[in-house]
Amino acid sequence: MAEIKCTKCGAPIAFDSGDKFAKCKYCDTQIFIDKSGAGFFYIMPYFIDQANAQGIFKRWTAGSLMARDLEATARIISFKQQYFPVYLFKRDVDGKEKVQVEPARSTTLPGLHSLKVPAGDIKIFDQNYDAGGIELLKPDIDMAAYLPQLPGTAKEQALVFFPLWTIQYEYKGRKYDAVIDGSSGEVFSTDYPTRKAAPYFIIAAIAFIAFLIEGLIGVLLWPVGFACGGALALVTIPVVFIAAYTIVRRF
Amino acid sequence: MEISISMNCPSCGGALSIEEGSRTTSCPYCSSLLAVEGDGGVSKIMFTNNLDRDKAIASAKKWMKGGFKARDLPRKAEITECYPIYVPFWKCSARAAGWVCGWREETRGDGKNSRTERIPMEKMVMRDFNWNQVACDAGDIGIEHLKNLAGKAVLHDEGSIPTFEVTTSPSDSKAMAVESIRRTAVNSAGVPHITFSKVHVFPGEMELIYYPVWMVRYKYSGRMYFATVDGITGGVLSGRAPGDAMWRSVAMTLGMAAGGFGTSLGLGILLNVQDDSSGLGILVILFCLSVAGGAFMFFRHGSEMTTGDVKGGYQFGFRNGGSGVGNEAMADMLKIKVRR
Repeated sequence: MAEIKCTKCGAPIAFDSGDKFAKCKYCDTQIFIDKSGAGFFYIMPYFIDQANAQGIFKRWTAGSLMARDLEATARIISFKQQYFPVYLFKRDVDGKEKVQVEPARSTTLPGLHSLKVPAGDIKIFDQNYDAGGIELLKPDIDMAAYLPQLPGTAKEQALVFFPLWTIQYEYKGRKYDAVIDGSSGEVFSTDYPTRKAAPYFIIAAIAFIAFLIEGLIGVLLWPVGFACGGALALVTIPVVFIAAYTIVRRF
Repeated sequence: MEISISMNCPSCGGALSIEEGSRTTSCPYCSSLLAVEGDGGVSKIMFTNNLDRDKAIASAKKWMKGGFKARDLPRKAEITECYPIYVPFWKCSARAAGWVCGWREETRGDGKNSRTERIPMEKMVMRDFNWNQVACDAGDIGIEHLKNLAGKAVLHDEGSIPTFEVTTSPSDSKAMAVESIRRTAVNSAGVPHITFSKVHVFPGEMELIYYPVWMVRYKYSGRMYFATVDGITGGVLSGRAPGDAMWRSVAMTLGMAAGGFGTSLGLGILLNVQDDSSGLGILVILFCLSVAGGAFMFFRHGSEMTTGDVKGGYQFGFRNGGSGVGNEAMADMLKIKVRR
């Protein structure tokens, strides 16, 4: 909770990030918080702790698009907890509110270019807020650099620090990056070792053709072929199942 | 740098108190009526959370059992965390009114004398809809739209439950709401080939709804998965769960068998019949190919089963990513009918 001074009696009034109005406890004055001229600092607390983040990363490496042995062989080089800064601009454009998000820091981390402020419990960040010794990445792009290009008039602008787990891992001699949003647990990654779809596709195609041929024997050589094709199918089904199961396990 | 403006009555100077979202107020001292100019009056509603920790976990456990997830999931899943959050949603109710014109095809007659006719259609649309969408980037929570929008409102903040902040704009959401409602309204007319449509959408006020959602995180063979549980109805809204190698193999085998045999049956129909019913053969083939395709997707991506709007994995049927439009007040339609 941040504080402002009551404009009437000077007593401190506590307010939170989403509040537009605050009421003085002492003199009952209702105060409108005009955020158009000020730059606020917001911070989003972590909902995902280290053990959780590691579990989420492990789950992600086991995904169907990732290399089969990624989960078992990915070697984590670094697993860092960092707050990343972005600017959040709320503008009044012809009576309509527009929200625009811009990076406050140049970065090569994946997922931070198509920026949105992730879902989270935004708090006001001031000297009272304890970030718990977690590294705050310093903004290196000035807010003023964006202001002239923005449409309409200012309603609110803020620097939002959002929580990240940044992971660097090695797979087959190459380094990769992944980022986990520390609030909702979404994993961002642009480059990762991929799994080949070929074994899956080949077995499915072979199975399909085998069943098709058996079906055709049945249909074309009716009725003798039907029994013949049916008998073949009874043999094919377990074979295909075992092959599919092996592929699911191995590739 | 100004961050606060105190609010006093412009005529007598008394301190004013205004509820967030209201448009007018009257001064308690001199009773002058005042109009408030501000953010365009968005009203906020916060729903009471109906579940407790145990119920949320029970609901997530029930969800683990169905849907071809790992067979040992209910036994091996270890719940690590379970906490409620309030997620903001934009809600907009609107009335759509207008006309949709077009035509449909109808085949008449029997056997050889059949002919296809175009029958003109002219339908009136007059209906209320409501629309909702999450008011922040949902991230990995995976909830874009809510189905249930009823609940008991609370007046005051339920202190300890974290509330997610709104980071999208109400005007953008309103524009989106109007567009999706218009589309749904035009579709609701049930005209297959539309030549002309004019549907006006009259939106009401935007409302902001804080909806209670329980986040249940669980561990399965060292991996972290989750499910979100609706804090009012108790149903699972979204989630990730491990898949099962056996189900995937079974699905593949049966899917390919159905696809292969079905296609050969379709080809058989095509070869054996001469005239009109060739359409049936093609239909059979297309259906069987889509069954095989679906089975292949499950085989390929079924290592993770998902529910709701989360990315990746495999999900049965169509993804939920609908437009967020629901019907409201069918009674209105009935009223119009009765009046006639």
